[in-house]
Amino acid sequence: MATVLNQYVRNVFDTAAAVFEGMAVTCSHFVRTPSTIQYPDRTDVRVQDTLPYRYRGILEVDLEICTGCLACERACPIDCIVIDAKKDKATKQMMLNRFDIDIAKCMYCGLCSEPCPTGSIHHTPEFEGADYSLESMLRRFVKEPVAAYKPKKVEDDPKIAPILERGMKYLDEFAAAGDEIEAEAEA
Amino acid sequence: MLQEFIDSLIADGLFGGLPRDVAYLIGMLAAGALVVFGFVLNVAGITTFVERRVWARIQSRVGPNRVGPQGVLQWLADGLKLLMKEEAIPFAADARLFKLAPFIVTIGFITAFVAMPFSSALIVADLNLGILYITSMTSLVVVGIMVAGWASNNKWSLIGGIRAAAQIVSYEIPAALSIFTVILITGTLSMQSIIQQQSWLPWDWFIFHNPFTFIGFFVTFVALLAEGNRTPFDLPEAESELVAGFVTEYSGARYLFFFLVEWGNLYVISAILVTLFLGGWQVPMIPVITDSAFGLNLLQALTFVGKSYFGVILIMWIRATLPRIRVDQLMTTCWKYLLPISFANFMGTALWVLIWPDGFLPAELLMTALGFGLVGYFFYRVAYHLRRSGAQITLSPLS
Amino acid sequence: MSIAGFEVEVDRGGGLETEEMTLNMGPQHPSTHGVLRFVVKADGEVMRRAIPDVGYLHRSIEKISEKVGWHGFMPYTDRVDYVAAMFCNQGWGMVTEKLADIEVPKRGEYCRVIAAELNRISSHLLSIGTMILDIGAITPFFHAFREREKINDLLEELCGARLTYNYMRIGGVAWDLPPGYEESVLAFLSQLEPMLDEFNTLVSDNTLFRGRCAKVATISAEQAISYNLVGPNLRASGVRYDVRRDEPYSVYPELEFDVPIGLGMAGEVGDSFDRYWVRFVEIKESMKILRQCFRQIPAGPVVAKVPRKLKPQEGDAQIRIESARGDMSWYAVSDGSEFPYRCKVRTGSFAAMSIIEELSPGLMLADLVTVIASLDIVAPEVDR
Ligand code: SF4
Ligand code: SF4
Repeated sequence: MATVLNQYVRNVFDTAAAVFEGMAVTCSHFVRTPSTIQYPDRTDVRVQDTLPYRYRGILEVDLEICTGCLACERACPIDCIVIDAKKDKATKQMMLNRFDIDIAKCMYCGLCSEPCPTGSIHHTPEFEGADYSLESMLRRFVKEPVAAYKPKKVEDDPKIAPILERGMKYLDEFAAAGDEIEAEAEA
Repeated sequence: MLQEFIDSLIADGLFGGLPRDVAYLIGMLAAGALVVFGFVLNVAGITTFVERRVWARIQSRVGPNRVGPQGVLQWLADGLKLLMKEEAIPFAADARLFKLAPFIVTIGFITAFVAMPFSSALIVADLNLGILYITSMTSLVVVGIMVAGWASNNKWSLIGGIRAAAQIVSYEIPAALSIFTVILITGTLSMQSIIQQQSWLPWDWFIFHNPFTFIGFFVTFVALLAEGNRTPFDLPEAESELVAGFVTEYSGARYLFFFLVEWGNLYVISAILVTLFLGGWQVPMIPVITDSAFGLNLLQALTFVGKSYFGVILIMWIRATLPRIRVDQLMTTCWKYLLPISFANFMGTALWVLIWPDGFLPAELLMTALGFGLVGYFFYRVAYHLRRSGAQITLSPLS
Repeated sequence: MSIAGFEVEVDRGGGLETEEMTLNMGPQHPSTHGVLRFVVKADGEVMRRAIPDVGYLHRSIEKISEKVGWHGFMPYTDRVDYVAAMFCNQGWGMVTEKLADIEVPKRGEYCRVIAAELNRISSHLLSIGTMILDIGAITPFFHAFREREKINDLLEELCGARLTYNYMRIGGVAWDLPPGYEESVLAFLSQLEPMLDEFNTLVSDNTLFRGRCAKVATISAEQAISYNLVGPNLRASGVRYDVRRDEPYSVYPELEFDVPIGLGMAGEVGDSFDRYWVRFVEIKESMKILRQCFRQIPAGPVVAKVPRKLKPQEGDAQIRIESARGDMSWYAVSDGSEFPYRCKVRTGSFAAMSIIEELSPGLMLADLVTVIASLDIVAPEVDR
């Protein structure tokens, strides 16, 4: 009898104490700073600018430094990159006629930007891809056929040099980029 | 009161040559509409807003803050959205009952406001059965919930409805018993007289009257929580188990009514508690303000609503803290814990009143000290948790 | 008799005769964690049987592997268990490395373990958060998610994505740790500790929560083994088995950690509370592992030289790893071409699904959600 009563009082007391402590914890949250980021308009800086360098957002291609090597097209597991690169018979120049990325299909895996020799294809921190139609999600980078980039030992064109520098810096992030190309050359 | 007021309007010739009864009816309807639209709807709406903001802060979020300054009009936007939505009535539902249910629920809730005292003069009807009337009217809600659960012809709704019935009927008993501990002291059921027997001094409140009413306050609180279907007793609409319980099939305006009642009920629950245990609208006599009848009533109304709103926030805060209990535990809590305790309280208070019919001041002071001591210890624990977490502090409730 | 236009059979015999009710829980039910379906035979509030129905989230992931190649399959493994994608990455990486005889550099292995243990913490936080949400408390869920969000930020810094990481490559990892990563992870860990204590005060010590979990759906050790439960579910039943310790892979032999088991703190060994508690303790163990990793990580490359056109020799391989949901095994067959011939994943949630039917008789309806949550069933992992 005594133990039963004891247990009874203990149960009541335990529950009251648990509720008391729990409410103390939640009460202490009344004065804590909320951790919400009020995207999109009430942030101090654009959310895109706060993302880390490696963030894998919507893809972007710098055509000026694209060599037309098709490595990205081959790497993509879902074939959302379509490149049409042909050697122009007359000028012996590699011409890029078409470079499309279907961002509706893309899963932002980053496999395409890894093998690119110049860092031409790269992720941007942009992630706002919503659009009204599927067609408009097909990004066409080639407006009119352009000549593909020819790698040089030292880039001297002042227009292209900064772009290439950016591309190479982007490539540096990948642990494997350089090695894999070597491995492929060996294979 | 209302009748005299209408009489005076008739004397002023406002109703022309209308028969007296018709004039009364029009007057009553107008007053009812005023109460419903002027107070009840706003209270329920603003309560939803406050609840969301309170929750948000507890959960490290900011809550609604876009509609109107700081989002205070969010509830209006939500209400309008629900009003404009298409109302779907399930094909297999009992359409007539399905349509009726929200109104039964709403009646049960709104009529409770008739005997709700806001100040010494501001009360629609000071019924001599006041508290009994309010508890019986609020339990009318269960009929509506049962009807809603049955008429939806959805198994989840049905389970929700049955759970609500079982729960509300069971918890009526401890609730009534612990309300009657106060009645033992006052000897009256009228809301106004209950408040008049207390004063603005905390140790004159009935919560600190004796140790039994002190416990009785918490028992009433828990029992009323269960009656209002609030966490940890929100089983009838347990969203993780029953989808949405008895409101699963409702949409549009009818859903709005259930919503309204649920949040409006918070106010009713805390108003009952404030009236019975926390001194109601009693205010200290501050010469300048309380000299005029208007000033006095305003201060009293503000005090009452303020105290009730503290209760509302307390209920929200509990909801944000505790998990839901299971059906068997619900019944255990009621029949094994609340009921014996409230019986003991009842007997204890009866004895107390027999020995000290006019109260025992040292005990009252002691209970007050205990109560405030608990609150103090609580804030000590809050400070401890804050310090331990090392979190950043923002005092402003704005976002 | 006709009520509301429906014929209702009424038993007019003596006594209280009740009818069994068939409830359809899911696939769209708030607490089935994705799309699961249970057919519940209930007698009022008490269940007679709950029959799980799987297949609502089947995406043919194993078949996809046969079309996208060894390298190309890596991002798809993220989708096998999107709550703990690192483990699937690691599993695919390891099975291919075993097939193609590739050695992962030491630093690469450490990077893998760091990423995986961070992911384990975030997965367990999600699991205990949703469990308490299903039981009806809302705040602890947000607190758990707030911490999980910080891990997501860390992983985003590491690999550029918050959910589908695609961090690992065959032969190592894609990116080395970014500069200053150690400091940010250690800072996070040191602020996670008081948060976990607070979570304990708010949830684990709460008698209402314990009342909901204690002695609910107790799984004995024999039962757990015979139903092939793995991971925290198995350990909660008192079986001290952890692939990381018993069949060590990667650099786990070099790390020191405990394998927590259920102790029956709230009632019986193997009840829902134990499953919750084992996950809770595992978070602390993972924190321990992370701290050691940062102390021991060597310098060097993080990925081996792997040809882009990978052609493993013919044969098959099977590996096992300890994912957040327990022993996950990957099996792959190669026919010497650029594409896997067959791939098979064995996941913990599928086995956990099957035991529900056995556990359900006699439980309350409300307990079903507790059981699903405490077994930490993640719908995509069940079907793949
Ligand atoms: S990110 Fe992945 S899916 Fe998208 S284009 Fe590149 S390889 Fe293809
Ligand atoms: S984007 Fe890069 S990988 Fe793709 S074709 Fe151009 S240079 Fe080659």
